[in-house]
Amino acid sequence: MKWATRPGVHVDRAACAWLIRRFVDPAAEFIFPADPAAVPADATPFDMRGAALGHHHGQCSFETALAAFGLDADPALEEIGRIVHEADLADERYDAPAAAGLDVLIRGLTLTGGSDHDTLTVTGRLFDGLYEHTRRQLMTGRPPA
Amino acid sequence: MGMSQAEDWVLLAYRLPRVPSTPRSAVWRKLKRLGVAWLGDGLVALPADPRTREQLEWVAEEVTEHGGEAMLWQGRPLDAGARSAVVSRMTAAVAAEYEAVAAEAAAVRTADAAARRRAVARLRRELHRIQDRDFFTCPQREAARRAVEHLAAADTAGTRA
Repeated sequence: MKWATRPGVHVDRAACAWLIRRFVDPAAEFIFPADPAAVPADATPFDMRGAALGHHHGQCSFETALAAFGLDADPALEEIGRIVHEADLADERYDAPAAAGLDVLIRGLTLTGGSDHDTLTVTGRLFDGLYEHTRRQLMTGRPPA
Repeated sequence: MGMSQAEDWVLLAYRLPRVPSTPRSAVWRKLKRLGVAWLGDGLVALPADPRTREQLEWVAEEVTEHGGEAMLWQGRPLDAGARSAVVSRMTAAVAAEYEAVAAEAAAVRTADAAARRRAVARLRRELHRIQDRDFFTCPQREAARRAVEHLAAADTAGTRA
């Protein structure tokens, strides 16, 4: 399936793309039209104005996507939702100290000049790691060594 | 985060019904946290960069979700005097916030160690919040930062020895 989001991906879009590829559509193809009106009919838009998979009711697109894909029963994904929320919105709804670091890392990554596809390749690994870390921490109640 | 010698500004013109008042005040708080310049009734602006544009895009989305109207513009002031008045207002607002942080850090210096540690954690967070809306690198930033770090150093000096 085709998935569309704005170019210059940052934390919320990177997190959504990871979620889609890992849990929803392993063969996902991502495109980056600058204008929401330029999204092809066969693509599902996310983190764009007017998209169902966007910011709604004070939630970031990743949180919206978790609910839309029925993945919100996974506590590790919920926790990542809180981290992405704070990295993206910084409204202090949640206590998520990892958010500041994630924001800086992805912002820096986008400054190094790779394409959005390159960014998603690196952030995919990053979110794989964050997921594993969060999952183990929730299992043992301790940060994994 | 502070940037922007860029001349372009992103503007949000919006209108929200007076009632219910909850979405109105939620939008108002959000704009306040972003540190926008209030140019008029329902017209706010931020120095344009991809981040500020996105921030105002989502506020616009929220306005329309609550039955209001919102439109985003990007442009530059033609009147240099008016521009610098706007920048001065924005800078004065964050300067006052920095000064409040510095004053709090000074006030808590004589408190006990636990209260000082709590104050350091809280004031550091507060500094980050202010810095995010400090678009013109307000000179009071450094003094506030030093006041908080001074307070932290007083408590860690003993343990480091």
